[in-house]
Amino acid sequence: MIADMREALEAVLGPISEPMLLPGGASKEAWAVDAGGERLLVRRAGGGVIHRHTLSLRHEFEVLEVAYEQGVRAPRPVAYIEALAGREAFVMERLEGETIGRRIVREPVPAGLPVQMAEELAKIHALPPERLPFLEAATIDRLVVELDEVGEPHPAIELGLWWLRENRPPPRDPVVVHGDFRIGNLVVDGSGLVGVLDWEFAHLDDPARDLAFSLVRAWRFGADALRLGGIGDVEPYLERYNELTGFDVRPEELDYWELAGNVGWAIGCLTQAQRHLTGQERSVELAILGRLGAEVEYEICHLLERQGVA
Amino acid sequence: MSERPTPDELAEAIEEFLSGEILPTLDDHRLRFRTLVALNALGIVRRELAKLPREDDAEQRELAARIRGGDVPEGTLARVKADVAERLQIDSPRYLDRY
Repeated sequence: MIADMREALEAVLGPISEPMLLPGGASKEAWAVDAGGERLLVRRAGGGVIHRHTLSLRHEFEVLEVAYEQGVRAPRPVAYIEALAGREAFVMERLEGETIGRRIVREPVPAGLPVQMAEELAKIHALPPERLPFLEAATIDRLVVELDEVGEPHPAIELGLWWLRENRPPPRDPVVVHGDFRIGNLVVDGSGLVGVLDWEFAHLDDPARDLAFSLVRAWRFGADALRLGGIGDVEPYLERYNELTGFDVRPEELDYWELAGNVGWAIGCLTQAQRHLTGQERSVELAILGRLGAEVEYEICHLLERQGVA
Repeated sequence: MSERPTPDELAEAIEEFLSGEILPTLDDHRLRFRTLVALNALGIVRRELAKLPREDDAEQRELAARIRGGDVPEGTLARVKADVAERLQIDSPRYLDRY
């Protein structure tokens, strides 16, 4: 297969180094190659998708093109390849820096990182939706459909969904959102934020939802005391974002969407386990997520308590 | 309470991992032998598990349906949280120390 890949890549990129499969990546393969003196990364379709609403690699590449062109810190898109050894793929710049969440929160992070995250989000939320006509609008009602497809009883998730229905803040005009903006999907180095990765969940949505996603406890990677992704406080982040966008997102909205992010991830754990259980993609790593979802359900209960639910 | 993957489904996932992903990479005879022994042991666990009565999730189903219908009387959250904490004692016991 590597020989097929090499041939297809060289047709586009010229002579390349030996492709090296990188670890990680739940649903996509990542290959490191060098060509023409450049460090490149090949993102290739894997066995399955995490959500039904995942963008195709062609569309993800188009989102990356628009984001890069509009000045978002992101890897430079190089080429889309419709069939790379039988699967779609694209090539982009391979940024240098750390992406592993656990390592990022363990080291002292650059003080400016929260503000830089806010700045990138402000740019993303200003991307022109007319350039990306395939992006769909999402509502939190989609979560109920996904839960019902799993078909297991999860009272804690139901409670979260109930509270989200009862306490919905006034909706904001939808904007282009990244959909998975959090530590783990950001390249970070000693100077701060190098680039935003993983655009496969981009869609149209309430900007506050994207803004609150980094607050979800699972994406603090054990550094629970720092509510913003285990790396910082929310206040400077929110302040900078509001300053740049004029959206005036209120802290209560972040609380709401933090809970929504947890409910989404709790359901995500179950749907990932379903990929294993239904035989779509057999993997012990996916299987155990069905059990680790209990952690997220506990966090949902904790957040509901803080909202005064009894 | 019943959860997916069930204990047997988890054991099956480990079995597939050991036989499908680990075993083919092992050249060391001793490690190959021990992995085969581990797979044998896992087979014993799975056959034991098969003899246990199936867990009943009727109560959780009923509770989930009630909440879906908006019937959330005082005390619901406390009960649900206690149930989740009980699951965590099995699924991820150290997680509770984080609160």
